[in-house]
Amino acid sequence: MPFRSLAFLAAVLLLTDHGFAELKWDKPVQQFQRTPADGEIEAHFTFRNAGAAPVTIKTLRPSCGCTTAHLEKKTFAPGEAGEVVARFVFGDRKGPHRKTIEVRTDDAAAEPVLLDLRVNIHDPLTIAPALVFWKRGEPGEAKTVQLTADAAQHVRIKSVVSSNPRLPAKLETIKAGEQYVVSVTPADTVQKESAEISVLTDFPADAPRTYILHARVK
Amino acid sequence: MIARTLRQLALVLALALVPALVSGAWQLQWRKPEPLAPGEVRLATARMWGDKVQWVDARSRTKYERTHIPGALLLNEDEWDKLVGPFLDAWDADKTLIVYCDGGSCEASQAVAERIRTELKIGGVYVLKGGWAAWEGK
Repeated sequence: MPFRSLAFLAAVLLLTDHGFAELKWDKPVQQFQRTPADGEIEAHFTFRNAGAAPVTIKTLRPSCGCTTAHLEKKTFAPGEAGEVVARFVFGDRKGPHRKTIEVRTDDAAAEPVLLDLRVNIHDPLTIAPALVFWKRGEPGEAKTVQLTADAAQHVRIKSVVSSNPRLPAKLETIKAGEQYVVSVTPADTVQKESAEISVLTDFPADAPRTYILHARVK
Repeated sequence: MIARTLRQLALVLALALVPALVSGAWQLQWRKPEPLAPGEVRLATARMWGDKVQWVDARSRTKYERTHIPGALLLNEDEWDKLVGPFLDAWDADKTLIVYCDGGSCEASQAVAERIRTELKIGGVYVLKGGWAAWEGK
């Protein structure tokens, strides 16, 4: 009799607690290729309650302030489907980014699920380096910046314009649409100077981008 | 009779010593500071560097405006293009840069430090272990 009571109690606990609550995610890891011009991305993480008990999603915690996560409703009956909509706003980010959203349900015993959003924000023009600087009193020799465009994109540099005539910039085309060099030569390095050098391009055709290089005498 | 009692006492003490040693070792291990990731620095080290440090706040503008480490410059990836010019104007090439974000699992400080190193080619850039939470003593 005591054994049967214990078995009954265990069964009740299993059924009423977390034994049959389970969310099945279709694609918990999603990867995208984007450009800075896209500005943001929205990813849809769909799921289904594969258990025999309702599941309530208690919290969605994005790993970054640049990412938000949204649910139409919180409680899902057995068999019911839903989706978490994640929105990642690029800001001025470039390169590969991984943003996660931690999902916790009312099943306290279940491990939280990490939804994984991977986005490569690919800029068709690479600038190396984005800063040239001289220390005061250092010889005022020219310093150069390499601009390299994706062979597939053919970004043409139309011109470069310095905001400070004491830090003038000169553009040299190595291979049109692919490789350019900007050289900056300070008038002298006696005093602190600051210039932003605008690099005007023809890409994309509908809204050509201007990139900024920085020159300083510190 | 006394010898037997002493032997039993010694045995009891020896048995008690085992869990005590295990517990002590565990405590020491537990208290050992988390190892530093490449490019990270602890707050105690940063404090030792004193005014040779330039703090860089990689959190959002809202958080920066609410409060920040005294003298910290704002530079984050949300507004990188807008902030990098003023950051470079204020930057002192003779100072060590230490970037921080909220702490915990925040990644913004690592991302900003990496961009300073790779895009601007500025060396001597560190990330504060524990971020703002460490500064606040949490």
